[in-house]
Amino acid sequence: MVDALREAHRVLRPRGLLIDARPDSRIFAYAEHRIGSGTYRPAGVIATSREELGNDRTSDRAVAAAARNRWFRSLTSGRFWHRVLFEDRPALQRYLDDHARFVHRVRWMADPARRRRWEADPWAIRRAVRYELFERI
Amino acid sequence: MSSTASSAVGRLLPAISSLLRPPPEDELREYGGVGLVRRRRVIDVGCGDGRMALGCAPYASEVIGVDPDPEAIRLARAKARELGAANTRFKVGVAQELPFADARFDVEILSWTL
Repeated sequence: MVDALREAHRVLRPRGLLIDARPDSRIFAYAEHRIGSGTYRPAGVIATSREELGNDRTSDRAVAAAARNRWFRSLTSGRFWHRVLFEDRPALQRYLDDHARFVHRVRWMADPARRRRWEADPWAIRRAVRYELFERI
Repeated sequence: MSSTASSAVGRLLPAISSLLRPPPEDELREYGGVGLVRRRRVIDVGCGDGRMALGCAPYASEVIGVDPDPEAIRLARAKARELGAANTRFKVGVAQELPFADARFDVEILSWTL
């Protein structure tokens, strides 16, 4: 990853802009149940898998190294949320089963009876994305 | 902000992972808006099927997308043709060894890449 940032430094002109954005593994994602048109309510939380936490820490270290090497300086950073939509709860579970980013089980806040009632309703995973903008030095 | 994933999406291929990401205009807005890429030479590294690259294309002077997955690049090129994005090119390549001259770009995007 440090190599990728060194290469970014090379191909960017001085004072050029580097945008780094990735899922924010430091906070839980939410499994949300749709309660109305465009309105969702959290029904559980989903943690990032241990492997992805490790990958994200490696990325953080690479970014820190790029700053230490004075390749880039941070201009601004922030976080936004977005939803990945699913037709029903089994579809959400299939996504969790097939993807490495999250652990495969939701930590439910809603009780089993309600989850069964909502099984065929639309669901979403709402997750945080963090970003940082850098100026090439 | 939402992006849509159909339940038909089972075992996802990297090339269609853009279905699980925010729309590019939403993502650009979060970073500060299209002014960041307007009339700029942009490189999108780890571009996948071209989601962000093609989202920048209407504003940027030139956009290059790079991804190690040939299938993703094939999809990105097809999308670019479909959209008539004449200022956009896609290349198979890796972030650690970009086939471009020094100081060639104004903006580099690493969206879900590092």
